Amino acid sequence: MTSILERPGGTREDTRDLTDAPGTPAKGAAAGFPAPPGGSGGDGGSGGSGGDRSPIRAVTAAVRRHAAVLAWLLPTLAISAFVQLVNLGGSPQRIDDEGTYTAQAWAIGAFGELTHYTYWYDHPPVGWIQIAAYTGLTGAFGRYDVAVLAAREAMVFATLVSVALLWFLARRLSFSRPAATAAALVFALSPLALQFHRSVYLDNIATAWLLGAILLALSRRHQLAAFAGSGAAFGIAVLSKETYLLALPLLAWVIWRNASPSTRRYTLTVAASILVLVGGSYLALALVKGEVAPGSNRVSLFDGVMFQLADRGSSGSLLDPESLLNRTLAMWWQLDPVLVVASLAAAVAGLLVRALRPFAILTLALTLFMLRPGGYLPVPYVIMLIPFGALLIAGVTDTAVRSFTRAGPGGRTARAAWIVGTVVAAVAIVPLWGTQLRGFLLADLDRPMRSAQTWIETNVQRDSTLVVDDAMWVDLVRSGFDRDNVIWYYKVDTDPAVTATLPNGWRDVDYVVTTDSMRTFPTAFSRVSDAIANSLVVASFGEGSTQVDIRRVDPDGLEQADADAQASIEARAAAGTALAQNPRLTLGGETRALLVAGMVDSRVILALAELLASSEVTVDDFPILEGEGDAVRRQVLVTALDGQSAATGAVGTTTTAWFEGLSGALAARAVDSIDGGVIATFSMDEPAGLLPGVVG
Amino acid sequence: MTSAPSLAPAVVRPAQIDAPEPLLTPAAPAAPVAPVPDPVPSDGSVASYGSALPDWSIGEWFGYSALALTAVGLTVIAVTTLWWMLHAWRDVASLAATRFPAEPKEAAHRFTLLVPARHEEQVLGETLDRLAGQTHPDFEIIAIVGHDDPGTELVAREAAARHPDLIRVVVDDSVPKNKPKALNLALTVSTGDVVGVFDAEDEVHPHLLALVDTRFEETNADVVQGGVQLMNFQSSWWALRNVLEYYFWFRSRLHFHAKSRFIPLGGNTVFVKRAWLDWSHGWDADCLAEDCELGVRLSSAGARVVVAYSPDVVTREETPGTFTSLYKQRTRWNQGFLQVLGKGEWRGLPTRRQRGFARYLLSMPFLQAATGLLVPVSILLALLVKVPAPLALLTFLPLVPTVITVAAEIAGLAEFGRLYGPKPRFIDYVKLVLGTFPFQLFLAGAAVRAVFRQVKGDNSWEKTEHTGAHRDTAAAPSHPRSTELVGASGLSARTAGTPTIENEAHR
Repeated sequence: MTSILERPGGTREDTRDLTDAPGTPAKGAAAGFPAPPGGSGGDGGSGGSGGDRSPIRAVTAAVRRHAAVLAWLLPTLAISAFVQLVNLGGSPQRIDDEGTYTAQAWAIGAFGELTHYTYWYDHPPVGWIQIAAYTGLTGAFGRYDVAVLAAREAMVFATLVSVALLWFLARRLSFSRPAATAAALVFALSPLALQFHRSVYLDNIATAWLLGAILLALSRRHQLAAFAGSGAAFGIAVLSKETYLLALPLLAWVIWRNASPSTRRYTLTVAASILVLVGGSYLALALVKGEVAPGSNRVSLFDGVMFQLADRGSSGSLLDPESLLNRTLAMWWQLDPVLVVASLAAAVAGLLVRALRPFAILTLALTLFMLRPGGYLPVPYVIMLIPFGALLIAGVTDTAVRSFTRAGPGGRTARAAWIVGTVVAAVAIVPLWGTQLRGFLLADLDRPMRSAQTWIETNVQRDSTLVVDDAMWVDLVRSGFDRDNVIWYYKVDTDPAVTATLPNGWRDVDYVVTTDSMRTFPTAFSRVSDAIANSLVVASFGEGSTQVDIRRVDPDGLEQADADAQASIEARAAAGTALAQNPRLTLGGETRALLVAGMVDSRVILALAELLASSEVTVDDFPILEGEGDAVRRQVLVTALDGQSAATGAVGTTTTAWFEGLSGALAARAVDSIDGGVIATFSMDEPAGLLPGVVG
Repeated sequence: MTSAPSLAPAVVRPAQIDAPEPLLTPAAPAAPVAPVPDPVPSDGSVASYGSALPDWSIGEWFGYSALALTAVGLTVIAVTTLWWMLHAWRDVASLAATRFPAEPKEAAHRFTLLVPARHEEQVLGETLDRLAGQTHPDFEIIAIVGHDDPGTELVAREAAARHPDLIRVVVDDSVPKNKPKALNLALTVSTGDVVGVFDAEDEVHPHLLALVDTRFEETNADVVQGGVQLMNFQSSWWALRNVLEYYFWFRSRLHFHAKSRFIPLGGNTVFVKRAWLDWSHGWDADCLAEDCELGVRLSSAGARVVVAYSPDVVTREETPGTFTSLYKQRTRWNQGFLQVLGKGEWRGLPTRRQRGFARYLLSMPFLQAATGLLVPVSILLALLVKVPAPLALLTFLPLVPTVITVAAEIAGLAEFGRLYGPKPRFIDYVKLVLGTFPFQLFLAGAAVRAVFRQVKGDNSWEKTEHTGAHRDTAAAPSHPRSTELVGASGLSARTAGTPTIENEAHR
């Protein structure tokens, strides 16, 4: 050991003493070592230099610097959060895709599986894995009755992240703070944006990663780590939603333009390797599952990719007014024509602004790509365009304002024209956005879905087989249906494992729930179509595009179902007419007509008949259940027994008890005391043969 | 109460319904009717979110956990290695900080340059001549030769005669001989206030001393480590890898170690203030990696170590002549690291973080060797043995930093060719990639051998022979360019592969 030796420049001290004063032994003058000339350079580093600024001033300056950021960013985030969150579950109505991603995310937590059906490499799974991570960490599925809303909450989170990233991206591109805020607000508040940001689309997650990747690509310091992060973030964006690969040229350009030449060799190599490796993890997933190449009776990565690239049907031509392409574009246009026009105009103008040029070219290229003949246009494709549109609008305007005085006469005219155009657009959006945002914040378009779910959960036996829109899949499974019996309509004809559970095809289906997503799905599914064709609507909620129908399938076919229904009505009419003649029965309102028309359930008729044996009965209504339209009445409102009101007191209790006492085939599903009397409700399934001629 | 009624058909004829008695009297069912089950779910048996742990046996739990931990551990090691390797390029400013100043300032120190030489008469003369040509105004050169090595001594004395004011020759008659002993001997007669070490085959840039002097002054350093660069990357596949190792080590990684204030020094182009060498009693004559040991001791005591690498002034060297001698050299270094780790001077580092870092760094040759071997093994295991898909994916994780490392090495080779020439050929890149795993095997072999020798207590000194393959033919016309050939002839000339002092070094 050398610890007792005199170290150069130091006094006699134990090695341990150095722990208190690192770097000091070389600084004494005793051994002829000059005192350091203040600070140090190079990689040797220094223990304590760099403190020439007072820490308090540094902190104050940092706070002030961040205060300016926060003063703009926090209100922006608050407004965005408000608009996103208010009436999140009401508008727009849940659609099938949302349900699919929700169900896949839920399957990860609930079943430990990547999807609720066999994963077939249609999309990389990272998008819904992130939804599952969000819902798992926040317990979101436990907080909502409607599972899709938990995933929508994850979308709100992703969108808020995107809002913040877009703000910082705008600042990094040297926008003024108001301009950055404007970009973020257009991104958050445009009705077109809101419609898609609220929906559970993987694109919303990918957007956040893409914006993060671009922001990192623009960093000037610590480029190695920043570019590595950029490559990783972009990889995750692409694995969240594969269409984001289209932004690769933009990112490559931005990185190349921003990379310092002296370190570029390594920073770009690392960024590119990481991107390839992140993408390669998808291949690795297929590899470990042994599903890379196509094979009989199994899914494969190859088939999944080929499906997306080759098998997707064309969305039709721009010239064909009925094409899917035109319908999608019309929807975007209807939501926010100003954003669409302003984005494209800003993209063209942005070609002239150096900092904005990559974004302008990307926006124009994506627009042209979307319109390519024979191509497939996914409905959420617009999500990738919205942040760049918002960025370009704010950026071109900001540039026009700030460079106005420096420009020549021609340049000033052009800038003035742009600024006037922006002002006009800003005025125009007040009524347009106002109307649309009112709808988003107030309209409950999802109500028919929720009502339909409630109806099913209340009225359908748990062992029934249902073909449904994915939007309600998780909710129905959570309500007690076996996951094998709740079938996403898309899988009935496309998944051999599902088809195998229905050996008799549509005849094995008990109910089909139809929604707008199903009615407008471009592909025809034969088994689903047959099931619908051989079914009768038993409950219907909403109208127009929000309409949800619950249809009961008759395994004997529609003709037989119609005939059975007719025969049953006649049989009930006969019994109802007889009952109506009972002098002890007092019938109010429309009830007599309903009885005579055969529109009252046989169990109601029989129960009343039995009750009449002991009491005089007053029936005021055979109420129809919500959504059941003009169906056979299976509720009865008894208002009095032996002339005494059943609304309250002992008579009410007796009446309730009597109905609750019914058992076997006559058992009531529910008996409720309400204002004016007692309502007994019988189940959906009217037993056959209780009344002669009634077919179940 | 009666239940599940069924009606006799006769009763429902409307014509008969005129009596005061209720006509629709429920009766017992004639035939059983399927009862209506309660449609409301009773309870449970519903898929619950956030399900339980997977259903594995204890053996599976153990095996899977081991596999997962291995994968994560390997990834951590590979990522840190990668990060250190690319440290210099993390930022433009940090790359600029790795360089010597562009212009030397006025000289402030007197330098003593120690050049130990052993059976190196082929290269020593030219090295001494070049050193004597340094532009620095105030320095001396001490060549140290063995008393049993007259050939080298003759070359050294001839050089001293050519530069009588600059070069002195010291004859080391100690037994057994090794490099730290030679250095310590020369230290006793040195006169400079900064002592630098060069190897007999080093090709040193004439401005180096002046730049090092400036670096001392600018940074108030106690130690300056200059860049050393192997040159002959086209000699063989392992030479290629060895050259790149040096490139990343001196250009990037050493700067990271200097910044962390814990640095194993290199064996040459290292300059230490005389006062610190007096404090340390020179070099540890018992350590196989005396350079590393000195660095650890100095940085543990708080000396300021500064690294500088400018491509134009690096000290040029060659790889060992044969794969075997590279293997012996690497074994010696690894064993030296083990000795330093065991000696425990690093425990004197001020912070826990630094001590942890020291421990990690000194263990690195062994961790790195393990990584190189275990990465392919774990991936094979995951593919061949049936393991759950997420775990199998996890075993691919160490591949990520490994692939990035190879990509960075490709970039490094291209840069190396641009800086020093010649431009690498396509086949060089192929060798680089294909050599990745074999070189890992080699490193693992050297690591295992080092541990084996250390456990056995075998501390003998296996020196690396040098032939001058890094010098171009114009400068050293008498030396063949091909390292392999020279190495082989050197071996045969020196009795069955012992051009070293190994046989006398057993204690």
